[in-house]
Amino acid sequence: MSDFSNALALSASGMQAQAMRLRHVSENIANTDTPGYHRKTAPFEEQVEGGRRTGLVTLGAVDLDRSELAQIYDPGHPMADENGYHDGSNVDLVVEIADAREAQRSYEANLRMFDQARQMSASLLDLLRR
Amino acid sequence: MFQQPEIMRMAQAMASHAAQRQNEVAQNIANADTPGYAARDLAPFAETYAAANGMELRQTRPGHLGAGDSPGAGMIPRSDPGTRAPNGNSVSLEGEMVKAVEVKRQHDLALTLYKTSLGVLRTSLGRS
Repeated sequence: MSDFSNALALSASGMQAQAMRLRHVSENIANTDTPGYHRKTAPFEEQVEGGRRTGLVTLGAVDLDRSELAQIYDPGHPMADENGYHDGSNVDLVVEIADAREAQRSYEANLRMFDQARQMSASLLDLLRR
Repeated sequence: MFQQPEIMRMAQAMASHAAQRQNEVAQNIANADTPGYAARDLAPFAETYAAANGMELRQTRPGHLGAGDSPGAGMIPRSDPGTRAPNGNSVSLEGEMVKAVEVKRQHDLALTLYKTSLGVLRTSLGRS
C-alpha cells in the first residue's frame, strides 16, 4: 500500500512541476511585446531530502535568459534611441509553443500514471469486499 | 495448521512486485524532463521470485546488512541505447508506457489468482 501512495506522490509532483513550467511559458508569451523583457526559464531537479534522493521532481529557481534582446525599429517610441531603435524582448514564440506542448504531453503521462496507481489500489481494496 | 498456500504467497509476491515496479515507472515519468536523470527499473518478477526462494541473504538479527527487504533491492539502472537525450536524461516515455501496461496486467493477474484461490478455499470449507 505504501508503494501506491509513494507512486501517487511521485506522479503528483511531476504534474505540479509541469504545471509550473506551463505557467512560466504563459508568462513569457504574455510578455512577448514587453520592452526589455528577459525570457524566464526554470530547470527540473530531483528533490533531495536529508542528502537522499526522494525521486520527487521539483522546479528549481527561476533563471533569466541572458541572450540578446531584439532591436525594434520604431522612431516614434518614447524609449527609442537616436537611431530609432529600442529594446524588445528575447522571447521566441516558436520555442515557447514547443515548450508548452511538451509540458502538456508530460503532464498527460503523469496523469495517466496517477490514474493507473489509483486503479491498482482500488482493485486491491476490492479483495476485501464480499 | 493455518499455513498460507504456496499459490497465494506467490500471488502476494507478484502483486507487491507490480506495486514496486509501478513506483519506479511513476518516478521515471515524473523525471522525464530532469537533466541528468538515469531511468531505473526492477528485475523481472520471475527472476526475483526464483532468487527469493533460498538464494538470498537472510536476516537472522535486526542489525544484519544486505537482506533482501531493504528498499531499492533488486534495482537496476536501465539505459536503452539511443534514448539518452542531449541533457543526459535516459527516460523514454514510450518505453515507460509499455512498462506501465505490463505492470497493470501483472497486478490484475496476481489479484485474480489470489481471488480465485480464495474462492477455492472457501468452497472446500463448504461455503459459497
